[in-house]
Amino acid sequence: MDKALQFATDHQGDYKNQLIDLLKIPSISTDPAYSDAVKKAGEWVVADMQRIGLTAELIETQRHPLVYAEWLGAGEDKPTVLFYGHYDVQPASLEDGWDQEPFEPTEKDGFLYARGSADDKGQFFAHVKAVESILASEGKLPVNVKFIIEGEEESGGESIEAYVKNHSDRLSADVVVVSDTSMATTEQPVIVTALRGGVSMELHVTGPESDLHSGSYGGAVHNPAQALAEIIAQLHDKDGHIIVPGFYDDVKALTPEERTAIAQAGYDVDELTAETGVPQPYGEPDFTILERIGARPTLEITGIAGGYYGKGFKTVIPQKAIAKISCRLVANQDPDTIFNLVTKHIADITPSTVSAKLIKLKGGRWAQMDIVNPMMQSAVRAYREGWGYEPIFMREGGSIPIVAHMQENLNAPVVMMGFGLNTDNLHAPNEHFSLDHFQRGIQTSIHFIHNIAE
Amino acid sequence: MTNAYQFAKDNQERFLEEYIHLLKIQTISTQAEHAKDVAEAAEWLKNMMLNIGMEKAEVILLPEGRCPLVLGEWHGAGEDAPTILIYCHYDVQPAIIEDGWDTDPFTPTIKDGRLYCRGAVDSKLHVMSNLKAVESWLAQDEKPKVNIKVVLEGEEESGSENINAFVAKHPERLSADIAVISDGTILDPKQPSLTFGLRGLCSVELHVQAPMADLHSGHWGGTVHNPIQALSEIIAKLHDADGRVTVPGFYDDVEDLTDEEQALVKQVLPNIESEWKEVVNAPQQFGEAGYNVAERIGARPTLEINGIYGGYTGDGMKTVLPAKAVAKITCRLVPGQDPEKTVNQVRDYIRQIAPPTIIIDMPIMEAGAPAVKLDVTSTAMQAGKVAYTHAWGVEPVFELAGGSVPITFECMKVADEVVIMSYGLKSGRAHGPNENIYLQNFYNGIQSTIKFIDEVGSRNG
Repeated sequence: MDKALQFATDHQGDYKNQLIDLLKIPSISTDPAYSDAVKKAGEWVVADMQRIGLTAELIETQRHPLVYAEWLGAGEDKPTVLFYGHYDVQPASLEDGWDQEPFEPTEKDGFLYARGSADDKGQFFAHVKAVESILASEGKLPVNVKFIIEGEEESGGESIEAYVKNHSDRLSADVVVVSDTSMATTEQPVIVTALRGGVSMELHVTGPESDLHSGSYGGAVHNPAQALAEIIAQLHDKDGHIIVPGFYDDVKALTPEERTAIAQAGYDVDELTAETGVPQPYGEPDFTILERIGARPTLEITGIAGGYYGKGFKTVIPQKAIAKISCRLVANQDPDTIFNLVTKHIADITPSTVSAKLIKLKGGRWAQMDIVNPMMQSAVRAYREGWGYEPIFMREGGSIPIVAHMQENLNAPVVMMGFGLNTDNLHAPNEHFSLDHFQRGIQTSIHFIHNIAE
Repeated sequence: MTNAYQFAKDNQERFLEEYIHLLKIQTISTQAEHAKDVAEAAEWLKNMMLNIGMEKAEVILLPEGRCPLVLGEWHGAGEDAPTILIYCHYDVQPAIIEDGWDTDPFTPTIKDGRLYCRGAVDSKLHVMSNLKAVESWLAQDEKPKVNIKVVLEGEEESGSENINAFVAKHPERLSADIAVISDGTILDPKQPSLTFGLRGLCSVELHVQAPMADLHSGHWGGTVHNPIQALSEIIAKLHDADGRVTVPGFYDDVEDLTDEEQALVKQVLPNIESEWKEVVNAPQQFGEAGYNVAERIGARPTLEINGIYGGYTGDGMKTVLPAKAVAKITCRLVPGQDPEKTVNQVRDYIRQIAPPTIIIDMPIMEAGAPAVKLDVTSTAMQAGKVAYTHAWGVEPVFELAGGSVPITFECMKVADEVVIMSYGLKSGRAHGPNENIYLQNFYNGIQSTIKFIDEVGSRNG
């Protein structure tokens, strides 16, 4: 293993340059205009995996292709690890507030700035480079290795869901490693043990038949932008508690042990205000900030639009206003049940002066990981020896629906080995990834691959 | 009767072509990239004024403004004759086909007797009706018995800084016995109406910010007050369930209608109600309890959300917790209310109800204007009544218009009397998609202004 670790250290410059090449491809899966770029990124990953000695192929789907690769030379008596990641990225443009072009990676103070650097190109690529380091220095891997890297995680992920369901034999493994999460500091790496599920929807509120002059009709028609705001204002109480009846019914209460474990990560109000810049934290007063993030469901308005929003004023009463709503769900909330509850609540509170329609966009289940599983313990050791610090277990606020799906269909434990930082600006301008974390991630993965062989 | 009336009828086709030419110029004053179009239209209008026989015509842009006004003058009636000032505006609201237009908004299209185009009703209809009426008069051997000034504004939709500055600096250039503001709508195609009251306007933007930058909603959701949600919670507190504005003091200075005014309003109520069904057709009526729809539109102040935005609103979902959300708010004001006082009442109340979890900012983007009430017994108003009756064959009724024509206030500074001569229709969808006007309104409008000039001249003896 030392040879592989040394190889990775010696080749960090090459690995960084390869990552930069991949980051230059704007593989934005949410925008059809970038379909070719998504495919190009997939092909780039396949080529890199073939070059390092894996059998790799691009699998066409209804939308964006999947990358599958394997090396099964360790033999049937050795365990198999399946690495999951995604090569697609969120939209990004300079106008959003980036300090440089989001697809022209820029190195600054030990960080690589580019869309996708942390989410998730930099993370999954660390495992690819770990495998390369072992193969190149030792000639073979101590375990069998598979990769499934998808191209539409940011835009639905339907293709991989179908593929996992229909090809569970091909993907079968003793452990699934997912690297798409983050930690607060380098010195305290995190193994995520629970993910929130989610359901997203779009709310349309319509009033008059068309946009109206606010002078001609203002005061005699329920303004849809106002009505939408009034509906949104009836989804939370003043403490941030969701007031959709039944919303919390299926939430599994936290045990005292879980609350203690969560508290260990030690995160306080000052850290929240410093990291986000909010004047004051917000949320359910009966729960700590970390509990609100990881263990409590949420209902967020992720977008709103209605009427005129160019420069200056347009004295219009809009015909329609829309909002995008995203719920994060925890055990044992069901996305469809939640969607139905929100639909019913909105129908109940919508005044008869406007029409409201709620459309479901996408749902995904929450996931929980077993922390006493031996694979999990191998990951703990890998961080300790490869990363250099003892990891902690933590619940994560985000959703990665494919995790629950793989747990179910592949019947294998999932280990969430995240290498990012909470402050990497995922989905936001100036996303970045620490090059030190990239290297530590490779070392950790090399340790993990050797650990599970034992 | 002079033959100006006949001249207008004989030249109807050419007048329409010229109207269409003006409609094609995208005079969007709210967007800097259309400054060239606005300038082109101003130049074209100036040349038209000179061609139809006005003695002077000038394109004027003061440092305070962005879009020029065009001023034309004819003083042929002599110093002893009265002077009328006709005001219209040639700039338009923004429009793109994606807003829901059936045809390109700047390609004039005639269908079933209606002309569809941005600006068709608001307000190039008025620009052309009045210029063509003046042309019809000046083409005659027997000239009008009134002096005529025509002022065409180029930034009515975006602040009116230029004309306001011009009125302040050179009031004598616009001075007149009667100011005719030609803008707005009549009751319905067959029933002309004279406006005796206009609502004022004030505006403010509400910016709500929580985090410094957009955040991933998964990582931070539940710990940060979502700015869209916070903005919505604030907006929801600005009206009660009946649509009454809850801002403290908002109604304090509102002058109630007199009994006579209430009687006038009652007269037009059936028209307003049927028009509401035709144009608005929302699932159900809405508004302040205790007031009918005509009063809600004409006699009561409002607080409207004209625009709201924040976060991601493209296709699908981006799980972002946005840093910021914005609403654009305007208030329609009625007589008694002061724009600055009202906007500050709104700002104070929002500051008071904003939670400590967010940061708010409320820039005032443009100056407001108070509401206006006009004397129905004035010479100008009575001449207007004769003019409408001549052109439509029906006596006009008096009504309260819901909209704001801030220029009325300026006109009151330079003229003894003010009358609003509107030729548009509410069903013309000013500011909305598929803006349109019956061609007949254009032709009636020309006849109406010809008669108005006639009537003011003959009343003078």
